[in-house]
Parts: sequence; C-alpha cells; structure tokens
Amino acid sequence: MSLPELSLVLLLFLVGILASGVWIAVGLGLVGLLAMNLVTNVPIGQVLATTVWSATASWTLAALPLFIWMGEILFRTRLSEQMFQGLSPWLQWLPGRLIHTNIIGCGIFAAVSGSSAATVATIGKIALPELQKRGYDERLSLGTLAGSGTLGLLIPPSIPMVVYAVTANVSVLQVFLGGFLPGALVMALYMGYVIIWSWLNPGKTPPRDPSMPFREKLRQSAKLAPCLLLIAAVFLSLILGFATATECAAFGVTGALFLAWWSGTLTWSAFLESIMSATRLTCMIMLILAGAAFCTAAMGFTGIPAALAEWVKGQQLSPHMLVLALTCMYIILGCLIDGISMIVLTAVIVLPMVKEAGFDLVWFGVYLVIHVEMAQITPPVGFNLFVLQNMSGKDTWTVAKAAFPFFILLNVAVVIITTFPQIVLYLPKLAFPD
Amino acid sequence: MIRRFLDALYLVSGWLSGISLVAIFLLMMFMSIGREIDFNIPSGDDFASWALVGMAFFGLAHTFKRGEMIRVGLLIERLGGRRRQVAELISLTVASAFIGYFTWQTGRLAHDSWRFNDMSTGVVSVPLWIPQLAMVIGLGILLVALLDEFIIVARGGRPTYQPEPPKTVEELVERVAQGGGV
Repeated sequence: MSLPELSLVLLLFLVGILASGVWIAVGLGLVGLLAMNLVTNVPIGQVLATTVWSATASWTLAALPLFIWMGEILFRTRLSEQMFQGLSPWLQWLPGRLIHTNIIGCGIFAAVSGSSAATVATIGKIALPELQKRGYDERLSLGTLAGSGTLGLLIPPSIPMVVYAVTANVSVLQVFLGGFLPGALVMALYMGYVIIWSWLNPGKTPPRDPSMPFREKLRQSAKLAPCLLLIAAVFLSLILGFATATECAAFGVTGALFLAWWSGTLTWSAFLESIMSATRLTCMIMLILAGAAFCTAAMGFTGIPAALAEWVKGQQLSPHMLVLALTCMYIILGCLIDGISMIVLTAVIVLPMVKEAGFDLVWFGVYLVIHVEMAQITPPVGFNLFVLQNMSGKDTWTVAKAAFPFFILLNVAVVIITTFPQIVLYLPKLAFPD
Repeated sequence: MIRRFLDALYLVSGWLSGISLVAIFLLMMFMSIGREIDFNIPSGDDFASWALVGMAFFGLAHTFKRGEMIRVGLLIERLGGRRRQVAELISLTVASAFIGYFTWQTGRLAHDSWRFNDMSTGVVSVPLWIPQLAMVIGLGILLVALLDEFIIVARGGRPTYQPEPPKTVEELVERVAQGGGV
C-alpha cells in the first residue's frame, strides 16, 4: 500500500471509530493496532505493552495528578464567594464595572486550577446570579464567563499543558512559563472588549454599587490574600527554578490543603471527595495518554509523520501559511472533540511538521493550548458552553452566541503571539537562558 | 450478590488508586524536603512513577463506571431506544475486545519480566513484574466492568456510565466538582 493510501485508510478508520462513540483511548489503541498490522511484522502486542509501560511509569507525569488534585481541593473551598466580594469594590470605576470580576476572578482562579470547566463553574456559581441581580447584560455576563473560564487552561498550572509537554517531550516548566504572558494578553483583550462594548452601549451598564470606605474595601479583599500568596509562591518557585514541576505541584497541594484548612472549609468528606475526583480525572487522561503513546509508536513504523514533515519542507510553505492551515484544522477539530484528545490525536503528525518549519515547541504548546481554549467555547461540544447552559438555563446557541466575541478575541491572541513569539518565549528564556 | 461484589471491586480498586495519589504526594514532599536536610529516599523517583502506574490503572474501572471516560458523543447521543442500545453494545464489544487484548499483552510483559528476572536499575533494585502487575490487574478489572456493562445494556438496562442529566445548578456544580471534563 502506498503512503497516501495508507494515510487515508488510517484516517478514515480513526474518524469512523471515534464517531461511533467508542471511548477515545480505545480508538487510539485500535488505530495503532491497524497501522502496525498493515506495515510491520514486529510483535505488536509486545510494542503495545512496553510503550504503555514506559509512557505511564514516568516521573515527569507524576505532576499531572498533583496539579489536578490541587485544583480539586481549591474548588471545594469558599474561594469563589471571596473572589466576588474581594474584587467587586475595586472594579466599580471601569466601564463595564462588575463584568470585569468575571475576567479577573477567572484569571486568578486559573492560576491555581488547571481546568477550564472547574474555573467556569467556580466563578460562575456566584458571579452569574450576583450580576443578574444587579441588572447587568446577561449576554455579556455569560460570554465573559465562557471566555475567561478557558484561562484555566492557559494560565499555569494547566492540565493540557502537562499533557502536551509529555507528548511533545518538552519541559513542563517551560510550557507553564510560556503561558503566563499570553494569559495576561488574553485577559487584557477581554477587558478591552468589555470596556469598548460599554462605551458603545452606555445604557446597559447598571449604576455603581453604593461606595465603600477604603478600609472596608481592604477588609473585603484581604480574604483573597491567602490565595494570591499561594499563586505568588507557585509562580516564584517556577521562575526562580527552586523546584521541578513535580515538586512544585506537591507544594501546590500542600498550599491548597493549608488554605482550605485555614478557611475552615475542608471537611473530611470534602477531602476524600477531592482525592477521588482527582483520581478519576487522572485515570481518564492517563488511559488516553497510554493509547496515544502506542499510536505514536505505531505511526513511527508507518513513516507517515516523517513523510509529512518532509513534504512540508518541500512545499517551501512560509511558516505563517502553515500556522494558518493548522489554525483552520484546529478550529474545526475543536468543534468536534475535546481539547485533550485534540492534542494527543494530532501531536504525532503535526509536531514533526512544526519542528521542520522551525517553530519552537514551547511556543507551539502555548499556541495549541489557545486552540484548546477555543474548543471549550465552540458548539456543539464545547464543555464551557455545556456548563453555562446548565447554570443559566439558556440553550446552547444562546450561550454560544454570547461566547462568540471571545472566540474571535482568542483568534486575535493567536495572531498576536504568532507575530510576536517573544510574548510566549520571554519568561521561559529568562528562567532557562540556554 | 454478584452485583454487590462487583461494585465493591470497582470501588476498592478506585480507593487503591486514590491511595496511590496520596503516596505520590507524600513521596514528592519527602523527597524535596529531604534534599534540603540530606535525607533521601532511595529510588524515590522510581517509587513515585510506579505509584503513578498504580494510580492510572487501578482506578480505570471506577472511572469508567462513573461515566468519566471520554468519548465523542456527538452521534451516539442523537440515537434513541433500540438503535442506541445496539450502538452501545457495539462500542462495548469493541472496547472489551481491545482491553482484553491489552490486558493479555501486559500480562505477557509482566510474565516475561518475572521469567527473565528483570530488575529496576535504581539504588533499590525491585523486580519489575511487581509494578507491572498493577497494569495487568487494573486493566483486568476494567475488562470485567466492560463485560458487566455489556450484560446490563443487553438486558435493556440504562448504562451505568451514562448518568441522568443534572437538574439543578447545585447538581451541575457538584457534577463538575466530581470531574467530568477538563
């Protein structure tokens, strides 16, 4: 079978098996089996067992469950209430007023959580009713929440970043560091949009809350201090190189436990629950990683990734054209599958191409994570849309329409980081000069 | 009787997985604090990675039963009644076949390690079949869970991995808190 034929067969099989509703990890494994059956005589079962063993018995990957656990613990504290109370007094003067609590609140929570769904649910459960009560525009409120929730993925710690770093074999720390400035960029874009929107629709911003004496404001936001301290500690230990990513995750868990204990919200049952839900999320991701590791090994035997990379090189495609093509592909994929699967499904094919075209793999990780963010807010399967749809009682399309401007803004962010890759690479280069 | 035994099996292996998570955490903490005070755990990173293997595989059945194994639901969720049942049965058959093969192959790997007496290369030398057995057992329990679901669905029951949609906001937040989507 020629290479193009083989690629087509495998691609069709992959699409068919995933569309039929077979679990993604299983689908990946089956594609690997088929590929190896078609091209080699090596003992397939042995390759399956050894690649999965070496992919899962990994010290670097041990950071993944710890970061997940950290987020699960903080999710169970009263952080979200404190976030709204602590932020709202300071944001009254901005055009758009309390809408900005959605963006900044999500941004702060994102810095302790690696999950977008948890970020939306945590911030949304307080902010959505509070904003509605005060008469803020519901569409803008839903849109900002959907969009800012995705910051959970871009601002470290981040689950998809760990998954990417492991699949692409780059340093988790560097990808994390690469996410900070783009995260700030996305927040700035969102806030800019809200400000302009409020100027254009002057009647739609409700009046200020009654003003508060300065000391009262400080007292309200003092509650946020422990959380901000935790973020600062995690960030500093990352950038100063005090700890490896895995150790950093362990310290994060300690900090989160301490915070939860200090605020008096960590009941014994909440603690056990946090362990079990972190466990389930990890198991789900690890099985996908196992399937992907085998699929990647199998693809290596077919020679498809290398041939594609060679082809990209031969086309003399400008790097920007390649990014444009990938962007289109990822937007379409993002509508159909979830972010983690998107990363592992495409990594084996796309990474050699990207490397050949001269992109930095840390940069590409951040680029890819922004696409995963978009996937969270594009219908029909965007998970943030699903969460908000249930929270607000609106249908998917209403929520999707509300989120659309923020989808566009994420695309703007992609254009900006492609034009100025330094935004991504500045911090990783600062911490790792070579 | 069998029902209760199986549910207990999934739950207990899920707990084992949770215990492995705590073990990873404690190992990491001891290792990084230990480095400062010149106390080190021999082969600590090996043990942490094996704990990760245990965690990843022991919890599979529990995760699957709770409906947190992701799939592309776009088409299958549009189907109803009899068609849906057939589609679920096909998915379960395909998954059981693959996981069965997978279990068998990891079993052979562990068996080979035992036969050739493969040891880990760290300071503390441990026979590799011991941590590898975690893969075999975890996948084996997942296989049992898949067959279990097959029987439930074939008898016309609602799959356990497909929970009722949440009705209230509290329920939804609770659901997200329980995992189910990054």
